[in-house]
Amino acid sequence: MSSVRSRSMLCSSISVRSLGVLAAIAVVAAALAFLVHDKFYLHVLIMMLLYAAASSAWNIVGGYAGQLSLGHAAFFGIGAYTSTLLFKDLGFSPWVGMLIGATLAAVVAGAIGYPSFRLRGPFFTLVTIAFAEVLRIVTLYAHDLTQGSMGISVPFRPALRNFVFRGLSNYAYVALAFLVITVLVSLWIENSRLGYYLAALREDEDAAHALGINTTRYKLVAVLVSAFFTAMAGTFYAQYIFFIEPFATFSLDFSVLLAMMAIIGGIGTVWGPVAGAFLVTPLQEVLRAKLGGELQGLDLVVYGAVLIVVVILLPQGIVPSIAAWGKRAFGQREPRPASLKGDP
Amino acid sequence: MLVILAQVAVSGILLGGVYALISIGLTLIFGVLRVINFAHGEFLMIAMYASFWLFRLYGLDPYVSIGLVVAFLFLVGLVAEFLVIRPILNASSSMQIAATVGLSILLQNFALLTMTANYRSVQTRLSRAVVSAGPLLLGVSRLVAFLVALAITGILFLFLQRSYLGKAIRCTAQDKTAALLMGINTDRVYLVTFAIGSALVGVAGALLTPLYPVFPTVGTYFVLAAFVVVVLGGLGNLTGALLGGFIIGLVEAFSGFYVPELKEAVYFVVFIIVLLIRPTGIFGVVGAEEVGLK
Repeated sequence: MSSVRSRSMLCSSISVRSLGVLAAIAVVAAALAFLVHDKFYLHVLIMMLLYAAASSAWNIVGGYAGQLSLGHAAFFGIGAYTSTLLFKDLGFSPWVGMLIGATLAAVVAGAIGYPSFRLRGPFFTLVTIAFAEVLRIVTLYAHDLTQGSMGISVPFRPALRNFVFRGLSNYAYVALAFLVITVLVSLWIENSRLGYYLAALREDEDAAHALGINTTRYKLVAVLVSAFFTAMAGTFYAQYIFFIEPFATFSLDFSVLLAMMAIIGGIGTVWGPVAGAFLVTPLQEVLRAKLGGELQGLDLVVYGAVLIVVVILLPQGIVPSIAAWGKRAFGQREPRPASLKGDP
Repeated sequence: MLVILAQVAVSGILLGGVYALISIGLTLIFGVLRVINFAHGEFLMIAMYASFWLFRLYGLDPYVSIGLVVAFLFLVGLVAEFLVIRPILNASSSMQIAATVGLSILLQNFALLTMTANYRSVQTRLSRAVVSAGPLLLGVSRLVAFLVALAITGILFLFLQRSYLGKAIRCTAQDKTAALLMGINTDRVYLVTFAIGSALVGVAGALLTPLYPVFPTVGTYFVLAAFVVVVLGGLGNLTGALLGGFIIGLVEAFSGFYVPELKEAVYFVVFIIVLLIRPTGIFGVVGAEEVGLK
């Protein structure tokens, strides 16, 4: 009886438990931002929240729609450059610039995605890499507008309107708000009709198509939303670091990082990208800071090894594996969430 | 002017030989295992470091030590296939990409950790040598790389056509189940194919060492070009990789001549257009991504 009801609840609305987890994360993160005064640890917290938000945004197209993009740095870069140029040259508030940049990124994502979505598997991945590389090179080349490899500094004029704050904890609150928004969007997608369409086309695109799902349209929706939020993270990055240049903002390494965090945590799940970012970011930041110039690269050696081990031993990612283990260990007899994952 | 253009074309074709050499192993591995090895560039980096250290420590010219480097890369390929590739052969393409990307990150940063980010190069008597053909100048090392690329493609082609193992490889690529039923040990075929693909990039690494400095991320630069080359030639298509290498070499040489700052963008744009219009590549057979190596 109760199991039937809980399933129907799951289909129609976001589960209370997910909202509870999100609230708990928000409370803990906000408390840390308020209580921690050490600049380094605040920085680690901000980067964790930012990467969690960006990786969740990536997960909408990379996970839910199953289209493994390694070109999301393109959207991140568009967000960073649009808001920064509008702020610096035309005096737009970066908040407004952020929305313009996010919209622009969504338009570009649609223009890239529409012709690319007929490519499958590795072919799609390669074309996303190529698009991001082209954008990076063009940004380098258009130095009249972008100052090329010299990069652009964001003027330090603290004001809420300018998206520039004196205290680091304010950045943590904003990053947390971004994370809450992207997680809510993910939760909504997962429990909506769109989420089921995406799950269907991810598991078997031909079958989904045959059932009458307009696969290209839903993949497009996914990439538009994904690019929009990735670009917002780009604006945040520019406002927080105060400096952008093409190699950092459009880098293949950054695209790879977003995807790999989601894969480590659990691709195509709400909490996978968040967990992945929360695990990988501190590892990187702390190892990098503590080891300094010595042992350069050790953080990434560990991260590469973790990635390989997770892919081989826990191909669904850490979060779903822990959840499955928890169910086995504690004998919870909840119905499986209506995922279409079956045997290959 | 005509001489300059001819010189640019010749440079492009020679550069194309280098690209082809790197790409042949990548395309062989994809054609048989259906896995794109994102760590292919790092294998190139390993080969270049091996070549560099054999020169630095024992004074072996890269052209002399090439046999050792190739054997080493064959071993690296065996180990990588066994530890990383074999467990993910039946996984989704996302997971396959993630595993090889993980391997790439691991190897690249292990090199950074142990070798530092310094550029190291090998200067031999031949690395700067130039021969002239009429008004045109040809770098000897590039010419060697070009000729070896041609020779290797020929040898590999004969190997796949004539030898027993070659036939087993082609059979496995076409239909794994049928190959198994015919008594072919497909696991061993995958192992050997991956090792051969790695050994081929070992050849490329040894021949590139006199031409380019080696540093931990050297593979990234070349592997992006190699991706373009193999898709252009049709993934899994060996002669396609050779021709694709020449096309990309020419595109890069001419765009480098006319729009130097955008030269990489030009070949990526060519790549995008090819992928969108003809994803099986210029020389690929339509549907080849399902059927595999011809």
